[in-house]
Amino acid sequence: MTFKALLIDAYRQLSAAKLFWLTLGLSLIVVLAFGSISFNETGMSIFYGLGTIESDMIHEGSPWARGLYVGIYSNFLVTIWLSWIATVLALISTCTIFPEFVKSGAIELTLSKPISRIKLFFMKYVVSLLFVLLQVLVFCVGIFICVGLRIGEWNWAIFGAVPIVTIFYSYLFAVCVLVGMITRSGIASLLITGVFWMLLWTAQTAELALNRFSVGERVTIESFEQSVLEQEEELNALREKSPDDFRIENRQKRIDDMKEDIASAKDTFDKLIVWHEPVRIALIFLPKTGQTIGLLDRWLKDDSGFDIQAMMRGDMRSVEELEEFDSTTRFARKREASKRIHDDYSTRSLWYVVGTSLLFEGVILGLSAWFFCRRDF
Amino acid sequence: MAVIDIHGVEKTYKGKIHALRGVSLEVHDGEIFGLLGPNGAGKSTLVKILMTVINASKVSGTFLGHPIGHRPSLKKVGYLPEHHKFPQYLTAIQVLQFYGALSKVPKPIRTKRAYALLERLGLTGWEKKKVSTFSKGMRQRLGIAIALINDPDVVVLDEPTDGVDPVGRREIRDLLAELKTEGKAVFLNSHLLSELEMVCDRVAIMVKGQMTMQGTIDELTRESTRFEINVKGEVPDWAEQTFDDVRGTTLVKHGDDTSQLQSLIDQLRATNVTISSIEPKRESLEDLFMRAVDYIDNPGSVR
Ligand SMILES: Nc1ncnc2c1ncn2[C@@H]1O[C@H](COP(=O)(O)OP(=O)(O)OP(=O)(O)O)[C@@H](O)[C@H]1O
Ligand SMILES: [Mg+2]
Repeated sequence: MTFKALLIDAYRQLSAAKLFWLTLGLSLIVVLAFGSISFNETGMSIFYGLGTIESDMIHEGSPWARGLYVGIYSNFLVTIWLSWIATVLALISTCTIFPEFVKSGAIELTLSKPISRIKLFFMKYVVSLLFVLLQVLVFCVGIFICVGLRIGEWNWAIFGAVPIVTIFYSYLFAVCVLVGMITRSGIASLLITGVFWMLLWTAQTAELALNRFSVGERVTIESFEQSVLEQEEELNALREKSPDDFRIENRQKRIDDMKEDIASAKDTFDKLIVWHEPVRIALIFLPKTGQTIGLLDRWLKDDSGFDIQAMMRGDMRSVEELEEFDSTTRFARKREASKRIHDDYSTRSLWYVVGTSLLFEGVILGLSAWFFCRRDF
Repeated sequence: MAVIDIHGVEKTYKGKIHALRGVSLEVHDGEIFGLLGPNGAGKSTLVKILMTVINASKVSGTFLGHPIGHRPSLKKVGYLPEHHKFPQYLTAIQVLQFYGALSKVPKPIRTKRAYALLERLGLTGWEKKKVSTFSKGMRQRLGIAIALINDPDVVVLDEPTDGVDPVGRREIRDLLAELKTEGKAVFLNSHLLSELEMVCDRVAIMVKGQMTMQGTIDELTRESTRFEINVKGEVPDWAEQTFDDVRGTTLVKHGDDTSQLQSLIDQLRATNVTISSIEPKRESLEDLFMRAVDYIDNPGSVR
């Protein structure tokens, strides 16, 4: 009964705020824009037929069309709209919930009810996530209908965004609550949460960049080493056959150059590791916002690999063509590195991505709860 | 039976403010108990300790038969905090519903009770209006309604008449009397002495975190009960010994023994003293209050 009362109260508080309806309205616009994309036999059209793009690969029924359409949702709408803009709006509208809750004059009556403080705190926390839950749910219903109508796929995994975005949001909201509990100020908690989010984002971006560089170097080392082995074999064969061949000198020089490149790549790699390791370890203990949101892309991916990230990586070529490639070219190495990076992040376990983040959230919430239970109001 | 029976309550706030210094008090079943004291005496602090809003540094005793801090027993307690702020986005009925639910009152009962209480507190017609549109006095009335939504055995009111107009005050006083006839105990805080005098069965006076007096108003003022006889002309010499006090032409006899008074009148009349008036006198709560405040400031000076 207490939980229900708090839930109803949370809903009334939210629906009394204009920002709630504004966010919902913006969501609707995003959904309508998304729904305006459609596919026909010769390509795709946007804005309900206002513009058309002809394409051999992206047209009605093609796997790339599915990859593109669902990919726009999981890569852009979720990452940009839900986990950026809507999250900022959500933080603005919910940052005052706890300061209001513990405001003198309001908290006394609530505390004098037959509910333990710790229970009260956690119930209030859970119902405060209602804002995000509702917003994302409404948004997902819209997307679900769009995807169903446009490419005939009634994919329930789209609703995966509801728990994912709510959990992602809760990492930030926990910090917001802690600051709100200590300062009793909505603005302070909004600002500090914003700073925290930025730091988190910076750390994650830095980790990604460092990871990318070091994987790049590793790919270079590996492919060059492989190539050196092959070429040395060839050279040995050549030497045995005709020791005076004019190509020997040239080839030997090429191998030596490559060995030099390997040495310098190893050097860079060692330097990068010194920076990458501490950031990577620090991130183990921090909430992984980006990777949490990335889970959705994993769940929505088509097994055949026709997805928007592959398009962006330049994988949009036939597989046979790729096998002809020399693995030491710059392009091949880059492609291999970004594939490895993608595989690295998309195979991290749920426990690592969500579990450790929730652990961090738990610690922050524990602190707030402890503060709430001990405090004289 | 005592509904509230606490002793040795101490509270030191952070920052070393010693708000309560060993307070003891007892509130009995079905009585209206008034706690008075000047600003900053620690009245609200004491109430908040009872309602588990703050933690006492030291406390022993019981509230509704359970130790202080026992949450389930708060189900049967109503509370009106001072300076309350109810959620502005709710209507009067919604506020009552919300706090009723937190007190675990089943929905059908609390809906019925909510309407009845609003009517009882003169808020008919305001049920569906947002709390943000209420005037101060109306909010106070709503606060009292909230304190009663769980049909409590004890009602704890921190300055119930704060901001209420004279008509409203009277209505609240009548309401308190009604609550008493329903068998509820009322514990209220106030510094409106005349008001307390009218409704309270027993009072306690607290000054600077200490209890100075406690008892029925009758008990507390009995000692000061006296007759004052005003005479015209000269005061006879023997009056000095017979009366307890002689102030100018006013002769004072302590106590409320009227038969003794008759013989004194006879004596005066026998010596041809003209009596202009005879008044039974008793200390008012205000005098008592002033005396209590004085006493703490200069212990030993009075009494
Ligand atoms: N949260 C707090 N932190 C620190 N000191 C406090 C706090 N609340 C009250 N005090 C101090 O405790 C003392 C008692 O305050 P309290 O509010 O109990 O007085 P009161 O008797 O209710 O006064 P009033 O008649 O003005 O309402 C005051 O000196 C006050 O400054
Ligand atoms: Mg007070």
